[in-house]
Amino acid sequence: MSESRVRPPGIELAGVTRTYGERGPDEVRALRGIDLGIPPGTFVSVEGPSGCGKTTLLNLLALLDAPTSGEVRWDGRTVGTRSERERARLRLAGVGFIFQRFYLLPTLTARENVELPMRALRTARAERARRASELLAEVGLGGRERAYPHQLSGGEEQRVAVARALANRPGLLLADEPTGELDSTNALAILDLLERVRRDRDATLVLVTHNPAVAARARRHITMADGRITSDVAGA
Amino acid sequence: MTLFGRRGSLRHARLQLVLAVAAVGVAVALPVVLVSVGGGVSAHELHDLENAGYQIVVSAPGLHGIADSHSLTERMLSISGVSAASPVLSAGIDTFGASGGPTAALAEGVIPAEFLPTLGPSENGLFPSPLPLGDPMDLVHFANGTYQGHATLDVIVSSPFAAAQNLETGQTLYLGPSANRSQAVGYTITGIFGVPPNLLGPIGAFAVVLPLSDLQVITGYGPAATAVVPDASDTIEVAVAGSVSADPSALSSVEAQIQRLVPYYGVSSLNQEATELQQASGVLTGFYLALSSVGLTIGLLFLALVLLRRVEADRRSIGIRRALGVPGRQIAGGIVAEGLFLAALGGVAGVVAGYLIVEAIATFATSTVQEAAQLAIFVPATLAAIVGGVLALSLLASAIATRAALRIEITEALR
Repeated sequence: MSESRVRPPGIELAGVTRTYGERGPDEVRALRGIDLGIPPGTFVSVEGPSGCGKTTLLNLLALLDAPTSGEVRWDGRTVGTRSERERARLRLAGVGFIFQRFYLLPTLTARENVELPMRALRTARAERARRASELLAEVGLGGRERAYPHQLSGGEEQRVAVARALANRPGLLLADEPTGELDSTNALAILDLLERVRRDRDATLVLVTHNPAVAARARRHITMADGRITSDVAGA
Repeated sequence: MTLFGRRGSLRHARLQLVLAVAAVGVAVALPVVLVSVGGGVSAHELHDLENAGYQIVVSAPGLHGIADSHSLTERMLSISGVSAASPVLSAGIDTFGASGGPTAALAEGVIPAEFLPTLGPSENGLFPSPLPLGDPMDLVHFANGTYQGHATLDVIVSSPFAAAQNLETGQTLYLGPSANRSQAVGYTITGIFGVPPNLLGPIGAFAVVLPLSDLQVITGYGPAATAVVPDASDTIEVAVAGSVSADPSALSSVEAQIQRLVPYYGVSSLNQEATELQQASGVLTGFYLALSSVGLTIGLLFLALVLLRRVEADRRSIGIRRALGVPGRQIAGGIVAEGLFLAALGGVAGVVAGYLIVEAIATFATSTVQEAAQLAIFVPATLAAIVGGVLALSLLASAIATRAALRIEITEALR
């Protein structure tokens, strides 16, 4: 589908660390001096064992969290340490986030869930409804607009989550273990969908996974261990 | 935040909502009852004041309050603009029928011809006119500053008293200063008068009216009339001509002239008393609201706790919204809207409950409480102000919950 969209930013992380807890024995150093550049429109996978800092890295890229030290830049502008209000504004307009556990709001229908980011951006009601229907049709859920999350299968829920992530036409798509809760058939379908929407929109896609088969879909493979990037390889 | 939370906790969420609405409702019902009943009683008193047949009152309570009341009355009547001046002595006495007694009654001693012109509209028609008390100016028994003349020995009795004691016109009723029948004097019942409606209490229901000089003798030094009995009354009610009544400065001038006659007694216009009553009513309303603020505080504290609990229950939903970039003000707006909705619901429920409570008291309670409830008035502006105040305070409760919602760590909420 061809449409106007937010241009994907060039992302840079410079000397980023993220530490949790008080200084001392309880201190957890989730990221240790990350330097990373992600050009617009690339498909990057981030792999590594549990607890290596993948999700923390993704949270920093999504501006859900702020680094303890170092800088997160979009197109050269420091954004990581801006106020929560500003980061929320950037997130709303520029980032689409897909969670492992879908995180649809249980009291909203599929269409209302997709409309949620557009409502926050004060998109006109008619435009919201039209676009939500289009997106749900695009992810193969035309006709399921009025279904509540508990009436959907896991694969369908994740499709709604993908549609929601695309609602405000973001340039940056972030997916945290998007197939972690799905069977292999649904996992493949979701990966195909993500690849297609990324390609159609020329968006940047950063996909966190510990599944090598999923990571293999990406053009660039980052591997992490113990809060550090241990390899960064461009694929075929 | 959604109104009914997650499906799994639907019943729990509904219970919280019902309890929050109930807490606010109870908190609102209390001031509604207090203010409507208190305001009603004050308005009733004010109405009575504004519709009294007299405009100025001289008062010095007690059996020996205002000395020389006969001559003072004559001097007041000579003031330009004064149309009537009625001294009244109110005293508790004992009455005896032909064989029974004693029965306590409130006796009012009046100058018959001066008494009727000072009656208000609510008392019109309750008394026979002219009063059948023999000596219209009460100048035979009391003449030239002494009690040398002959008492008329006429009395009129209230209808409740007459009904209770089987008294009829023409019968003899013995009146005395104490329960000792030997000190009582026989009076002929010459008429029966009605009791004004809407009295807050039974005072005045068992009453007799007789010439002022006769009551002065009864309550003075016993039945033997002597020159040393004080010519006393506790109030003198002064009616003025219509033109003076309508002109505040003329009324003030008359009031000042009367005050010069009796510099040691209290002289006040009913306008002044009405103003003071309104001020007192305002103070009472403030007191009622202050008293109610305890309940309101508890109600709104409960509302704040429910909203906080719901923020906690919706922690993940709030985290998801914030992760998607929904601005904090939109999340806050949802919480504030919910707080306002619950407070409005509680406020309306409280007003309805308060109304029903007052109606129940007016229907099923007894005596003074029932009478007071029957006088209650529900002023829409006051009720709206109470609900408005609750809504304003609910913003505070919502602010507490909003603060908690916006302090949720997004990454923590999504774990």
